[in-house]
Formats: sequence, C-alpha cells, structure tokens
Amino acid sequence: MTEPADQPDIVYRPRGRLPGTRPGAHRGREAGGLGTFRDQVPFLRMPDARRMDVRATLRDPFEGTYVRRFEARTLVEVWALLDLSASMRFSGEADRMALAATFCTGLAASATRIGDPFGLIGCDAAVREDVFLPASRGRGRAAEVARRLAGTACTGTGAEGMAEAAHRLDGRPKIVFLISDFRWPEALITRVFASLSGYDLVPVVLGDAAESEGLPDWGLLELDDLEGAGRRVVFMRPSLRRRWIAREAERAETLRRVATRHGRPPFRLAGRFDPDAVSRHLLGT
Amino acid sequence: MSNALARLSADHPALFWLLPLALLPLLTSAQRITPVAAIAAGPADGLSRALGWALRASGILAIAALILALAGPYRQGETLTRMGIGAQVSILIDRSGSMNETFAGRQPSGIEESKAAASRRLLAAFVGSRAHDQFAVTAFSTAPMLVVPMTDRHAAVRAAIAAIDRPGLDYTNIARGLAMGLSQFGPASPATSRALLLVSDGAAVIDPRVQDTLRAAFTRLHPNLYWLFLRTKGSPSISDRPSGEDTPQAAPERHLDLFFKSLRTPYRAFEAEGADAVADAIAQIERLERDPIPYTEQRPRRDLAGLAYGLSLFGLAILVGAKLCEADLRRTRPVPVVARATEKLANGKLPTGKSATDPAVPPRFAA
Repeated sequence: MTEPADQPDIVYRPRGRLPGTRPGAHRGREAGGLGTFRDQVPFLRMPDARRMDVRATLRDPFEGTYVRRFEARTLVEVWALLDLSASMRFSGEADRMALAATFCTGLAASATRIGDPFGLIGCDAAVREDVFLPASRGRGRAAEVARRLAGTACTGTGAEGMAEAAHRLDGRPKIVFLISDFRWPEALITRVFASLSGYDLVPVVLGDAAESEGLPDWGLLELDDLEGAGRRVVFMRPSLRRRWIAREAERAETLRRVATRHGRPPFRLAGRFDPDAVSRHLLGT
Repeated sequence: MSNALARLSADHPALFWLLPLALLPLLTSAQRITPVAAIAAGPADGLSRALGWALRASGILAIAALILALAGPYRQGETLTRMGIGAQVSILIDRSGSMNETFAGRQPSGIEESKAAASRRLLAAFVGSRAHDQFAVTAFSTAPMLVVPMTDRHAAVRAAIAAIDRPGLDYTNIARGLAMGLSQFGPASPATSRALLLVSDGAAVIDPRVQDTLRAAFTRLHPNLYWLFLRTKGSPSISDRPSGEDTPQAAPERHLDLFFKSLRTPYRAFEAEGADAVADAIAQIERLERDPIPYTEQRPRRDLAGLAYGLSLFGLAILVGAKLCEADLRRTRPVPVVARATEKLANGKLPTGKSATDPAVPPRFAA
C-alpha cells in the first residue's frame, strides 16, 4: 500500500457558510469564540463578557456595550459517488477505473488531512453495498478507499443506483463529487442531478482521448459495448471521425448545461489524475 | 429447377451436419474487438452497417463453402431426351467386290474413283449435315456385318462410312443384309421417322421364304425405303425388262424393285450413274426425311468442389482484407501538446505557476 504522500492535495472550498458546530477547516455560519473576526454585535444579542470589545464600547456615543463575534471554522463532509457500471471498465489512453480509484483515493486523503469526513458510495444499477463507506475522518480512510476500489469489479449495467444514492445522504450541506463517464440516458442525468442539487455538486467526467480526439482517421473497428448493448462494425474515415467528435462535443455540452443548472460545471478527468487541475477547477467555479 | 437440385449430390453427405457452424460469424467475429463505454457514442452510419453485414456474410460464406467443398459436391450425370428434327437412318451398304469398280465397270485408276469411294464421300457429308439424325451402318456381302449400331455419334458413323471403300468381298446377299439393316431400328416413338438407305450396285434373288420375314419386318417398322442403285454403265436398269425370260434370276434388279414396291411402305429408288447423280439422290433423301425425332443427350457428372473452394476463397479474401484494415482504438495517436494545454486551461481557470511535468503514469494502488 502506497500512501500518495508526494501528491498535492485537492483544495476545495464549500459554497457559502456552513452550519454546524464541529470544528473544521471551512468557514462556518455560526459565530463562535475562535477564528476570524466577523463583526460586532450588541452585548444583549450575544451576552459573552469574555469577548467584549472594549474599544467599540468606548467609542459608541450611545454607550452601548459591544461584543466581538468570530467566525467559527467548521468541517464539511466530502462524498464521492462513484459510477461502477460496466462502462467504467473502458481502457483507452488510461484505465478508466484506475483513474477513478486514484481520484477517489486522492480526494479521501485530501479531505481527511484537513479533518473533513470522507464517504464513498459506489453505484451501478443499485447502490453497491460492498463499495459503501460511511463518512469518516479517520486517518486510514484513503487506504481503505484504495483497498475497496482495487478489488471492485464493474459488472452491472446502468447507473440507476445513482438516483437512489441521494437517499443515503442526509440533508446537511456537503460536497458531493459525482464521478462517472456519464454514458447515461439524458433523463437519468437530469434525475440524478436534480436529486443531488441540494448539495454542492461537483461532476467529474471521466473522458478519454481514445473516445474522441484520438480516433483513427481510417480503419475498421469492431466496437463491443461494455454494458452489453451489442457489437457494431465501424468503418472509420475522416468524415465519420469529424461527426463522431462533434457528437462527443455535443454530449459534453449537454452535460455541462445540466450540471451548471444544478451545481458546478463538470470537471473532465482524462488521461491522468492531476490534483492541481482539480483544485484550480474547484476554486474557479 | 427442382430437377437440377435433385441431381446435386455429395461424396460425404454426413459432413453437411457441420453446416450449422456457418452461423458462427453471427455470434462472434474474427476482427479485434474494441470494448467501448457506449456503443451509441459513434454516430449512426449506413456504410459501416453495410460493411458489418458484408463481413458477417463473408464469414458465413467462407465456412459454409468450406464445409460444402469438404463434402465433395457434384452434379450427377444424366441422360436428357429432347426433340430435334431428323430421322433414324439405317444405312445398308453393299460390300461386294463390284463396288470397288468405277461407274464404268473398271478398276479405278488415276483420278477415277470407285463406286465405294464416291458413296463414301457423299454419305460422309450426309451424316454430318444435321445434328440430331441417328445412323446405323451395316455392310453386307455374302453375310451381313454390323458396323455401327443406331447412334447419334456422328464421328463414329463417319468413321464407319470411311471404312466402306476397303476392298469388297464376295457376292451380294441382299436378303440377310436387309434383315440386319431393319433390326438396327431400335425402339423409338411411333412418330419417329425411319429410313432404310440401301446402297448397292446390284441385286440378288431374295428367297421367297425369306421374303415373308422381311415383309413382316417392314410392316412392323414401316421405314421409308430408299434404294440408291449405283448402276454400272451398260448394266441393266431397274426398270429394264429382260429380253428373255422375266425371272428373278434373269433380272434381279427389276424383281427386287418389284418386291420393294409390293411392301406397302414409302419407297423410292434412285438410279445413279455417276458421282453427281449419287449426290442428287442423297440430297433428295435429306429433304424428305424431316420429322421430329427424340434424341438423347449425355451430360457428364460435374465436380462442384472447385466452385465451393472458390466461393470460400472469396469470403476468406474479404475477411483477410478486413483484418488488414482494422484499426486499434487503444493505440491512439498522440494528442498534440497544444490540445493538452488548452484542455488544462479550460479545466483550470486559475493557472498556477506549478509545472505541468508530472509523472505521466498515474499512481496505481495494489491491493
């Protein structure tokens, strides 16, 4: 078991101020006694004599008494919803499942390092109980995630479990990473995004150059659907390749539109896992 | 069509039980299978679909044709009976010694040709002129000789006729010759036109006892009788009455003619005193004998394994071509660096100063 110590962490920032009293690394909604200065309120509103702001009290011409309020730092649960349908076995430029596992492990390590609990839900047609890890902030979480995902077989067809997975999450604000190749029917995409729109939702699209830009100009391909939708001979030629790439771009655009309506725009994870790129995406959106 | 199918057969029909194997290309493929996340990602393409079916059909063809070829298919030989225009002609040729003489009654010398040679030349042309005539050749002198039975193999008949100018033998025994010539007519439909062509340069007395037998045979077979009488110059004609006593012994030609006329079958006598007259006579006979005749045609057994191997080769060639054309999705061409950089920019709105030269291989986690 190798701990990805040399890898930079994924830096994420939840949207808005989080409720909750448990101390953590993110800005909380609650005003507490420690942390960054937030504002001053009259003593009667927060009768805490220890944090009386002497300077403000003296300055007030109406002789009111003021108390300093500080922003509480709280934690946020990070969940990864991982698509385990058979299409995740795809291996082009990179092995899709390995890429997803690397991402989840890196995310678990990044979350637990700053004290955020990390939970994992694997779904195919239903929620996979063997790939369900409740949120925990234990130090060994990343290793546990890696171990679980290393022995996971992607056999199921369909990703209807994703819609069901929303019920496993309680209603408190949390960051949810939705990791999939999103080779779903558009209705399912809309349904899943709608069911998760209450959370800070980050879609992570697993792409591969072999599925679009890397397509050959000429040649015969016999495609076999990993989810059992049949086999098909495709005669690649430049015109078909152009149409194919345009279709992929259209699909990505549809996904982006749906995702932006319910949360953040999707992050495309292709080729290899670059934590800095994820951080930039998360901080920028 | 069903008749043609019924004649198809094979050396090892048990191998046909393997024919369901030809459906294997519907289940699997010789092409390299490229697993993809979603087959619907590729746009619908009619040409690709057609190629897919063509490849499957080629596979089916290759396997099915190989099995057929191994089973050793062939088309059975057969005998076809068809109708043509022609007649059954039984040629009865006199081989008596006098046939070797010329029409002038001498031994041939120089450019002169004997009666046998002239009739040989003209009869040979007669034999080849119509495709569906059937001929039998009988020679007679003292005893009749069966030369060629009734056949439509004209080459054999011509060869038989070519042999009739060999030096002739003894005397003329026309009764036994006629009997054998008549026996050459095999069973045939009543509509078939039959002709007995007697070529002789003389006649002989027919024994009255034999006459009845011949009469019965003529009545039964009812052939058209042609007598090509090669008359030597100076010898008596058919119609000449002898000066003395009118007996068969004194004028055998005349009495033979009378006998033929009494047979109540169509009869014509041609008296030829030279090669041209013989040619005229033969041409007349040819004109007269124009009736439908059933004839048989032999079709030999035909081996079809080569055809099956050829079909199989055709299918295999298409499959090999497709194999050579196949592309590999995994060995993708390298995405240009510019594309990668723009992708990074698109993903990360906040470019940092960090170098992008991370290890290319993502870390893997062993269990």
